[in-house]
Amino acid sequence: MYCDFYSIENHETIDKFLNALHQEINLYKHYGEMEKYQTIYFGGGTPSLLMPEQIGEIINHLKQSYSSEPDTEITMEVNPGTVDREKLEGYRSAGVNRLSIGVQSFDDKELNFLTRIHSSDEAARSIMLARECGFENLSIDLIYALPDQELSSWKKTLNKAISFKPEHISAYSLIVEENTPLAESVSTGKISLLSIEDDAAMYELTMEMMLENGYEHYEVSNYARPGYHSRHNTNYWNHSNYLGLGPSAHSYWAGRRWWNIRDIEEYCRRITRGELPIDGEEILTNNQLLDETVMLGLRTGVLDISYLKKRFNIKFTDELQSIIKQSLSDKLARIEGDILRLTNKGFLVCDELSQRILSAIQ
Amino acid sequence: MEYNSHNAQYQLIFLANTLIFWYICNENPACFGGIAFIDTQMEHIRNFCIIAHIDHGKSTIADRLLERTGTITEREMKFNQVLDDMELEQERGITIKLHAIQMKYKAKDSKTYTLNLIDTPGHVDFSYEVSRSLEACEGAILVVDASQGVEAQTISNLYLAIDAGLEIIPVINKIDLPSAMVDSVKHQIMDLIGCKEDEIILSSAKMKIGIDEILEAVVNRIKPPSGDPNAPLQALIFDSIFDGYRGSVVYIRVFQGTLKEKDRVKFFATDKIFDAEEVGILEMQRFRTKELSAGDVGYLIPGARDVHDTKVGDTITNADNPASGPLPGYKEAKPMVFAGLYPVVPDNFAELRDSLEKLRMNDASLIFEPESSVALGFGFRAGFLGLLHMEIIQERLEREYKQELITTVPNVEYRIVKIGGDVVLVDNPAMMPAEGDIEHVEEPFISAQIIVPTEYIGNIMKLCTDRRGVYKNTTYIDPTRADLRYELPLSEIIFDFYDKLKSTSRGYASLDYDFLEYRKSDLVKLDILLNGESVDALSSIVHEEKSYEWGKKLCAKLRKLIPRQMFEVVIQAAIGSKVISRDTISAMRKNVIAKCYGGDISRKRKLLEKQKEGKKRMKQVGRVEIPQEAFLAVLSMEE
Repeated sequence: MYCDFYSIENHETIDKFLNALHQEINLYKHYGEMEKYQTIYFGGGTPSLLMPEQIGEIINHLKQSYSSEPDTEITMEVNPGTVDREKLEGYRSAGVNRLSIGVQSFDDKELNFLTRIHSSDEAARSIMLARECGFENLSIDLIYALPDQELSSWKKTLNKAISFKPEHISAYSLIVEENTPLAESVSTGKISLLSIEDDAAMYELTMEMMLENGYEHYEVSNYARPGYHSRHNTNYWNHSNYLGLGPSAHSYWAGRRWWNIRDIEEYCRRITRGELPIDGEEILTNNQLLDETVMLGLRTGVLDISYLKKRFNIKFTDELQSIIKQSLSDKLARIEGDILRLTNKGFLVCDELSQRILSAIQ
Repeated sequence: MEYNSHNAQYQLIFLANTLIFWYICNENPACFGGIAFIDTQMEHIRNFCIIAHIDHGKSTIADRLLERTGTITEREMKFNQVLDDMELEQERGITIKLHAIQMKYKAKDSKTYTLNLIDTPGHVDFSYEVSRSLEACEGAILVVDASQGVEAQTISNLYLAIDAGLEIIPVINKIDLPSAMVDSVKHQIMDLIGCKEDEIILSSAKMKIGIDEILEAVVNRIKPPSGDPNAPLQALIFDSIFDGYRGSVVYIRVFQGTLKEKDRVKFFATDKIFDAEEVGILEMQRFRTKELSAGDVGYLIPGARDVHDTKVGDTITNADNPASGPLPGYKEAKPMVFAGLYPVVPDNFAELRDSLEKLRMNDASLIFEPESSVALGFGFRAGFLGLLHMEIIQERLEREYKQELITTVPNVEYRIVKIGGDVVLVDNPAMMPAEGDIEHVEEPFISAQIIVPTEYIGNIMKLCTDRRGVYKNTTYIDPTRADLRYELPLSEIIFDFYDKLKSTSRGYASLDYDFLEYRKSDLVKLDILLNGESVDALSSIVHEEKSYEWGKKLCAKLRKLIPRQMFEVVIQAAIGSKVISRDTISAMRKNVIAKCYGGDISRKRKLLEKQKEGKKRMKQVGRVEIPQEAFLAVLSMEE
């Protein structure tokens, strides 16, 4: 199994890391007592490297130290091929009640391109296994706009995903991150990215198919059956408070955002010294908060104009009015009372709209 | 008898200067150990300059002379090249603004000489300034790079120097380079100035070879200045700078008479009278001597608010005992290249105006006036001596004054002869009269001298022909190098002619040019329309024969530079009402990043802030947003 590739030293690292994590939970006790938490999310990296008992210890520690709402959403990211029945059952009984499965594609060639260790069949088996192990809230992660990908191939992957009736689907257009092998291949011309037209067509197809199958489009790349929006991610998008624990995790609390150091060794060292392992922080100015509110709002398809007026005291300038009017006549959005709601066409140019609206506000 | 009285007078001045020296030192103990006295005996003065092509080693030689004469120690030489003291000049390796410096040199004849080195700018845009500083000298060191040979710039400045009657001291520099072709360069020089072989000094400023020989030649070959210290004052302004505290500081060469502090001085060209607030010589800093007389080089602070009252080339005289007339050769510096300068953010218009005004105070050749553009809002139309001058102004505005600019495509000034005979000068294509009102259009032509290795003659001729050049003749400097003469429309060389010249000759061709005359040409105004609306700042005046190709290229270029909008954008090039080219930018299909979770929000917001600023900097015509780069599209049409 995937885990077996790790040497003894890495087991030691994991133990050291877990110790540090538990200490970090203690360091934030006063935060945990201030406000009841509603969600826990194990993600980023490969949390399924941890054994169910280890996950359980973290959940218990959080429960004991912090106060929580009764129906906490506890999500864990898992990749097909890294989990078996025993592990999944273990996670379930440790308290995890939502799985986000990194399927990415149901096409073996595409999975190979994405350097995934699992095959399409393994992905399918993992989903079924998760159901069998009692997970009633499943999310499937998918990626589209891969180099040379055909619209038909994407449609096949989408249909296959839908066939499992997951409560939630995240579908991401490929992002070429800087300093990755993919970025290198693109810049040297070894790989050519899909055209923006094809990318857009796949996005449109996704939105249409999701709607047809009863999923709500509640964020740029996120779709869910009614009642199954990711509560955790939704909190990111409406500036709720959250604590991020572990290396390079981001936290936000009452207008302040901070992030931990990336390096796991340094992270552990700092905590051993009894220090918070913080790498940097920012305290959002009113304007920055406004920028984020508009940006994140539009990403969830909604611009609440009366809220913006009330909270940020923004002026309804001629420029802003004409941008809104224009976006209505261009069919990028509909107006519902004081709320601007994006159409599919609007989602396609969501970032452009943020820029326009914000440059008109400030 | 006459000789004696002369001598007696020098004695007096000598004493007076010694006193002044002590007076200054007592005021300022820090200068103790400076120069013992100021020798104004004319036979011990040498005024000279260095003529060289860019990179042939003018600054290095100057530095060595300063070092050898103890004007500056090696340790003090913080920068490699002291004479280029503007940051910009150092980076470009071009001496943009003239300076002068005085050195004391004890020659082999045991006498101490006062050597005034007057620096000259080394670019075609500033040939008038060069001629003025040459006028202030009796001799010139001609520096030629042993590996490069004689270049166009060198020749044209050399001719100016010969015309001004200067003694030429030829120096071959960089003889230490493996690629040095000393013999062949020697012959080039001998052919050029008709000197003997043994008159040529071989040097390597880098290795400190030949420096003493140069200094001895300056003393022995260049004649001392002449002039009568008792005659009415005639002093030539060969440069001026602007001092934030003192106003204009003029660098002068006194030809006749004596200038003292508190004298009332008159400037011939502007007919203005000022009091001489301070007079002195130029060392590493200004050194106050209170007077200058015939033969001297130094500075005068006349208490003038800006450099426009104290123009380069003008003559200063004593208002109470004026000379009968100015020294010959004064010309009003005339701008040749024009461009619109607009603030990126419209609110910064006033700030830009202030910055331009400050720049104008120390640059008498910069002119500007307000103008407005539909696309760019309020800005200025500015006139420059040439493209380099324009780039310098642009860079100084950006670096020193922190102005964010949109510069429109530069153009020349056209003479439009209207039906009925009225003549209008147009320095902005948008102001071109309607086609039906025009009898004909005239444009400025220049005469160009291009020196190029013979193997590249074909390339250069093709380039000149492409640029509507009229071939005049070719002469050979030596078997490997030719001197080509062309007459070219100025408008054809202000874009990328110089770069092209260099790239088609592997960097060997050099160019010099002079304004010739206005000539009738078949010129048309080419407009650019975006979704049917004309963008005034993108209009240009082009030759009719080239207009189709030009329009096509420009449309294609704009298609690349204008980002996709929410709607389709049609780009058209038109002459009058006739569309000659068309291109389209399809509507934006998708612009949204897929992921934005807890750890991404900050980064995403920062990106958004940048994009938002970018949006604000866009200029809008109708609904189309145009980025700054688009306004300079024409400049890099070939890519």
